[in-house]
Amino acid sequence: MTVWHLDPEAIRRYAQGIAPPGLAASAEAHLMKCVTCRDAIASHVDTRRVEAIWHEVVDRVDAPRPSWPERMLARLGVGEATARLVAATPTLRGPWLLGIAGVLALSVWAAQVDERLLRMLLVAAPLGPLAGVAFAFAGGLDPTREIGLAAPYSGLRLLLIRTAAVLAVTVPIVAAAGLALPGSHWLAAAWLLPTAGLTCAALVLTARMTPVVAVGVVATAWVLVTTPTAMAGHLDVAFGVGAQIFWLAVAVGGGLWLAVTRNTVTIKLGRSG
Amino acid sequence: MTVRVRGATKSFGRTTALDSVDLDAGQGVTGLLGPNGAGKTTLLRIIATVLAPDRGTVRLLGRDPSRPDDRTRIRERLGYLPQDAGFHRGFTVFEFVDYVAILKQMTDRRARHDEVRRVIGLTGLASVSAKRIRALSGGMRRRVGLAQALLGDPELLVLDEPTVGLDPEQRLRFREMISHAGEGRTVVLSSHQTEDIAALCTRIAVFHQGRVRFTGTPNELTAQAAGRVWAGTQRSAAALAAWRTGDGVYRNVGDPPAGAELIPPTLEDAYLLLMGEPDLEVTHS
Repeated sequence: MTVWHLDPEAIRRYAQGIAPPGLAASAEAHLMKCVTCRDAIASHVDTRRVEAIWHEVVDRVDAPRPSWPERMLARLGVGEATARLVAATPTLRGPWLLGIAGVLALSVWAAQVDERLLRMLLVAAPLGPLAGVAFAFAGGLDPTREIGLAAPYSGLRLLLIRTAAVLAVTVPIVAAAGLALPGSHWLAAAWLLPTAGLTCAALVLTARMTPVVAVGVVATAWVLVTTPTAMAGHLDVAFGVGAQIFWLAVAVGGGLWLAVTRNTVTIKLGRSG
Repeated sequence: MTVRVRGATKSFGRTTALDSVDLDAGQGVTGLLGPNGAGKTTLLRIIATVLAPDRGTVRLLGRDPSRPDDRTRIRERLGYLPQDAGFHRGFTVFEFVDYVAILKQMTDRRARHDEVRRVIGLTGLASVSAKRIRALSGGMRRRVGLAQALLGDPELLVLDEPTVGLDPEQRLRFREMISHAGEGRTVVLSSHQTEDIAALCTRIAVFHQGRVRFTGTPNELTAQAAGRVWAGTQRSAAALAAWRTGDGVYRNVGDPPAGAELIPPTLEDAYLLLMGEPDLEVTHS
């Protein structure tokens, strides 16, 4: 049993957090054993400060450690809330990405054998990232779509976050496949601006239709226009300098439109908007 | 009235899911009762602002959900548990509820985590907070669904078949939670279980083939069957529905023959009568 007690000045300084380290450590050890001093210090304690500290402790102890993709995003400067939204994007899950990589690997192998397949691969390359964007909002793939539709979170913001995340992951996969193609390496990059333009066009269309339908419209138009020319060997029509400038303009125009209308446009993530 | 629906009609292709439906719901628990495919889920999705009606008007919390600004304001004050609530199964309970809290625009991390802990505690999930959802039983997952719906203490709670797939004990616990949630706010729920409706709801609307066949209190619906339920030693040919009870007596529902031994009806008897008589349409004030 302890026989001495902290003097009132020591109690005051400790309670206010201004005690020197030696006194603080000594007071802390004593308070663990002395009921009298604990009672004495109670009236000096700033309860709001204690509650704030306790909250912080509980939050640190109780909140689960973020998953590794969230931790990686946090290291890249992405906010923890945005990182959680990205982690919930259905088309960033392993099976989906493995599927895309598998299809591309097969396509690259086929393109080594037949030059026509090489051209078709160029036509199909932008469809991978586009499909990723569409399926990020598809009812069958997003298990929480219904809950998300009834939430007040900005549809445009969610659309842009998921689109950026899908592009950031799928574009390098498709680019790696492009580098494995036979022939000139300009082919590996030729589809990038069309992909950017098609994605922006699809995003703009989401003001009128759901992402799945918007991507379907854009992808169908792309395939219908580019397939005949690519198969005829006229890659310049879809991938030449003029086409690249056109897709750059579409991407910039779409991006500007979204930026200008961000506070007024209603994105149709579901049937009611 | 928190919920006011007038003449709501919704079709999917050639199928009319809702046909000119009216519904009012205020504070307390309002139940939508009806068989599968009767239109309950379609109406709840409209009330949850997930779906817009083809025709008719809807007012929720005094606002018009067809206007984008109003819709966002409504969603800020709304909690929704869909019929097939999906989960990101790799998330833990805490992570999933936290994810929905982010979608509900709770931006301050600490305040959001406090709220997540509160609803997890309310639904009895504190001990499994760190568990992955894929490791939970169906009943526990349903609780996770309710927890996310309770985030932000919403004024309007929309629950689609909240007790489906639960065992009797879990159903009882869920009823307690919903009953508690119904104190001081508006809860609209659907069920095809008459026991749930009888136990929870102050008002009910019975749906059949996209139309409302009855609105009123559970007692008013039960009273519809007064004098039309009788016990007998065998199945009566006059009965609309009849079944042998545990004590070996047949419970007959329909127009009783002369001299039949009438017994007090239950909500289920009245519901069976209503479903079996297509021309009957009853609305109480």
